[in-house]
Amino acid sequence: MSDTKVLSRRNFMQAAIWGLGGLIGLGFGVPAVAYVVGPSLKNQLSQTWMRLGPTSKVELGTPTLFSFTIQTQTGWIVNSQEVSVYVLSTDGRTYIAMSNICTHLGCHIRWIAEQNHFFCPCHNGVFDIAGNVVAGPPPRPLNRYDVKVEDGQLLVLVGG
Amino acid sequence: MATKINQWLDERTSWRKVWETIFLRKIPKVNWFYTLGSASLFVALNQAITGILLTIYYVPTPDHAYDSVQYITTQVPLGWLIRGLHHWGASAMIVLVVLHMLRVILFGAYKFPREVTWFTGVILLLVVIGFGFTGYLLPWDQKAYWATTVGTRIAGTPPWIGNYLLRIIRGGTEISAVTLVRFFGTHVWVLPSLLAILIGIHLYLVIRNGISAVPKRGGNQ
Repeated sequence: MSDTKVLSRRNFMQAAIWGLGGLIGLGFGVPAVAYVVGPSLKNQLSQTWMRLGPTSKVELGTPTLFSFTIQTQTGWIVNSQEVSVYVLSTDGRTYIAMSNICTHLGCHIRWIAEQNHFFCPCHNGVFDIAGNVVAGPPPRPLNRYDVKVEDGQLLVLVGG
Repeated sequence: MATKINQWLDERTSWRKVWETIFLRKIPKVNWFYTLGSASLFVALNQAITGILLTIYYVPTPDHAYDSVQYITTQVPLGWLIRGLHHWGASAMIVLVVLHMLRVILFGAYKFPREVTWFTGVILLLVVIGFGFTGYLLPWDQKAYWATTVGTRIAGTPPWIGNYLLRIIRGGTEISAVTLVRFFGTHVWVLPSLLAILIGIHLYLVIRNGISAVPKRGGNQ
């Protein structure tokens, strides 16, 4: 009769139950999505400066090998990984840090002082003192790290 | 549009009839104590949802169980919430189920024709206790380890069969990786299947027999 719709007790209860049910559903649904998706969106590696050692260890004109361990965490499992870096300085003021991983297939290269070159034992890749490819299959020069010197200590930027 | 889809579905499934039978059935005038069963069911659902979510990260081996639980609690977004809901839900479950049982006893709701509902309820209570017992070991911390040491030792007390029982439950003489996985397997596969089947029967019987009215003072002799 009247055009104002009367909300009956039954309809009110029905609406309230659906509303509450919806809220509870959201209360489970939203945290569930965050919980499932969350770790997938996390950045695995953050950039950090790793300390190599004192600059005095670097022989002028000869690539010097430094090693350090980085820790990576996947889920609740922490892995440590040994990383080696060749540091070269010709003047004692500027330093370059090169990875000792061959850019061909990832073998460890070595500095052979008598020949004045880096050699890769796997497929005879050869790099010069600055890491440029001289011979063999490597497609590009050795990877370099950003270096900085703080209080006579060498640091390289890893990760990211 | 919605009514059209509902109509289409109803023609083929009679879902409206099912809906009415379950949710729009006639019940006697009752009080708030009669909500304890529904409350138990709600918490059981909570346990199922949060339990499934926990298995996404939890690993039931001695070298990963504790760490994965810590990972859930401290690293996963809202992991503390999911684990907390499961943890407190477990306690709430026991409390609610016991209160529900007390209500049925005190109101005489177990009597004819509802005896079978009562029987399934008794088994459901055992299943819920089984959930609590097996779930307690899974975080694999000191409390879990020693509680299970004590709990399983109780199973070892009956004469003759005690020692066999103890070894069957532990999967050996000690609490070990074998114990952990079998508790996990029981907790996430065996008991949930039992629970689902028993709740199905329990609810069917509740609906088929209707719920009992509040007993009247004096009664009809």
